[in-house]
Amino acid sequence: MAKKIKQIAIYGKGGIGKSTTTSNISAALSKLGYKVMQFGCDPKSDSTNTLRGGEYIPTVLDTLREKSSVKANDLIFQGFNGIYCVEAGGPAPGVGCAGRGIITAVELLKQQKIFEKLDIDIVIYDVLGDVVCGGFAVPIREGIAEHVFTVSSADFMAIYAANNLFKGIQKYSNSGGALLGGIIANSINQPYAKSIVDDFAQRTSTQIVQYVPRSVTVTQSELQGKTTIEAAPDSEQAAVYTALAKKIAEHEKSTTPAPLDVAELREWAKSWADQLLALETGAVTSVGQSI
Amino acid sequence: MSNSIERPRYYCSLGGALSTLEALPDTIPILHAAVGCAGSIAWAQNGGSGLQVGGYCGGLAVPSSNVSERDVVFGGVDRLHEQIGTTLELMDGELYVVITGCVTEIIGDDIRSVTAEYRAQGVDIVAANTGGFKGNSYLGYDIVLSELVKQYVAYDLPKAPKTVNILGIVPYMDAFWRGNLIGARRLLEKIGVTVNTFFTNEDTLDNLKNSSSAALNVVLSDVYGVDAARTYEEVHGVPFIQATLPVGPTASAELLRAVASALNLDVDVEAVIDEENRQYFRYLEPLADVYNDADLQKYAVVIADVNYAVAVTRFLIDDLGWLPVLTQFTDVLDEETQEIITAKLRTDDPIPAPKVVFDTNATEAIRYINELYPKQESDKYAETLTPAFVIGSSLDRSLATKIGAGHLSVTYPISNRAVLSRGYTGFAGGLSLVEDLLSAAVAAR
Repeated sequence: MAKKIKQIAIYGKGGIGKSTTTSNISAALSKLGYKVMQFGCDPKSDSTNTLRGGEYIPTVLDTLREKSSVKANDLIFQGFNGIYCVEAGGPAPGVGCAGRGIITAVELLKQQKIFEKLDIDIVIYDVLGDVVCGGFAVPIREGIAEHVFTVSSADFMAIYAANNLFKGIQKYSNSGGALLGGIIANSINQPYAKSIVDDFAQRTSTQIVQYVPRSVTVTQSELQGKTTIEAAPDSEQAAVYTALAKKIAEHEKSTTPAPLDVAELREWAKSWADQLLALETGAVTSVGQSI
Repeated sequence: MSNSIERPRYYCSLGGALSTLEALPDTIPILHAAVGCAGSIAWAQNGGSGLQVGGYCGGLAVPSSNVSERDVVFGGVDRLHEQIGTTLELMDGELYVVITGCVTEIIGDDIRSVTAEYRAQGVDIVAANTGGFKGNSYLGYDIVLSELVKQYVAYDLPKAPKTVNILGIVPYMDAFWRGNLIGARRLLEKIGVTVNTFFTNEDTLDNLKNSSSAALNVVLSDVYGVDAARTYEEVHGVPFIQATLPVGPTASAELLRAVASALNLDVDVEAVIDEENRQYFRYLEPLADVYNDADLQKYAVVIADVNYAVAVTRFLIDDLGWLPVLTQFTDVLDEETQEIITAKLRTDDPIPAPKVVFDTNATEAIRYINELYPKQESDKYAETLTPAFVIGSSLDRSLATKIGAGHLSVTYPISNRAVLSRGYTGFAGGLSLVEDLLSAAVAAR
């Protein structure tokens, strides 16, 4: 019997550090001995840049645009430590349907059974920001990824995007879709930031998989076109990513989150705004005391 | 409870736009739609418009961009550009109209930028966003006509004081569109009016081009063509009036009076009406005795679109003397329109008014009939729906069989009649409808 391929999807608001986190997870997993594929599902097609020395690779859709029949092997490029890199790509901004593009790209690789052929252990889909339409929900639908992780900071908009993703997961959870592994809390340096994401995780019945601090090492590595795992393998930040990668590799059981409805989410955000304001003005509250 | 679509009586707005364009002289429709749209529309037309479908550049020979997955992902504008280019090269037309289907509307293809490019080269080309999900084929007629009014009809023409345009008769959705348009034209010509009907073999594309010079638009419908008439009013300052489809002498006389009054015509309208009535009733005279002796008066059930439901019911009440007991409208209509239409079917005592229902599902008609005529243990002394006659579409033939009634198809879909030049408008059209109803009533003899 063929081995079970672990497929995970990583979602999060644009600019939150999704691709950075994903690439570092891929790099750390490959260093741990897993055969990894990173599948960028964003029309920007820069998910795998830091695995390829800052180099862009031809995308599935660019190739499809030029040729009527495409071999999956032509779409896969190896990067750091033998990681297989694929970029779905998309149409020019403002035309066509990027969501359908993601569906087409994912289906193409699935049909050609490329994961099995390459004997891959773990596939990571790096999916753009919000679940704006059906196309971007493809990785969490039946038969693609099993586990979803979301990268979120303590910013309201990032949490809003995470909450939307939870709604998507909840929707597909009854029809064999992916379930939620947890939140990767990114850029968590201030104590109140940790409290905010912890509170959100608790309210939506999920967990924080890892707190990832903001670090200048990441920026330095990215400027070299590399992941932190590659550029600064002995750094503290690399240790954080490796710990995260281990947890993901060992992660078995995901759950259905309990997203907040829009009014609840706004109310929740407002209560945090009040608490932060109180903190700033020096008022002593229970939350203020705890942080 | 969800409502399934049982026996649809129209197709999508793309279909309505397409059949409207097929009816327009020297006009080439270009679909920007997925593979299969044109074919589905052609078969729906074929099966429902009294054996009329297509024509030059119609039916299964319609130019279409036939977009596929690649065009969906990357945008289908290049494909459309190519399709327009090849259509201009191969097809012989004066006016080209790009209409969109659901797929290209959802991905937001900018068709107007493409048509603008061709227009800059001197091609008469119009773009209309008719994505099928917008509504049914009647809406498609209004969308495409409104775009023609904005993009093709000439601006700033001097007004022709006695010219009118006819709107509201939807080609192919009304299988009798040609006969009905000609009937309306002949009728209005009797009071000295010049009439544009756009779609018949007596019209040219120039009639459409110059239609902004008309003094009045006459919408022969309570619903269809109203949007197009409003566009004329806004863009070209042409006012409009609405009237019931003029089937038979009463409605025809009303239309003549309304148009003469709207145009302030110096014509003795009543003299014209008297003469038309004289001719009409001379035809009916020899029928009168047998009508009574042979018991040709019927209870009627009318199931039709808004044009026919109003016009036929009124004709039966006002002109033929049948007794409509139920009139079911199969269009999707808002409450305000429903009220206006219901008011049109009121009667003066002692003539009974029909029960009026608005229900897109015509299979429900039997339920309404059973409500009107509850089942009795014995029919001996009960009032029953006999002798009855169903006037509707081909789909209502089974109802007629079930209640032992005669049946005539006058509204879409009509698959059991061949229709070419026949029409029911005007005084003469009323005679045709009497002929068809009574022929069906005595067909088994």
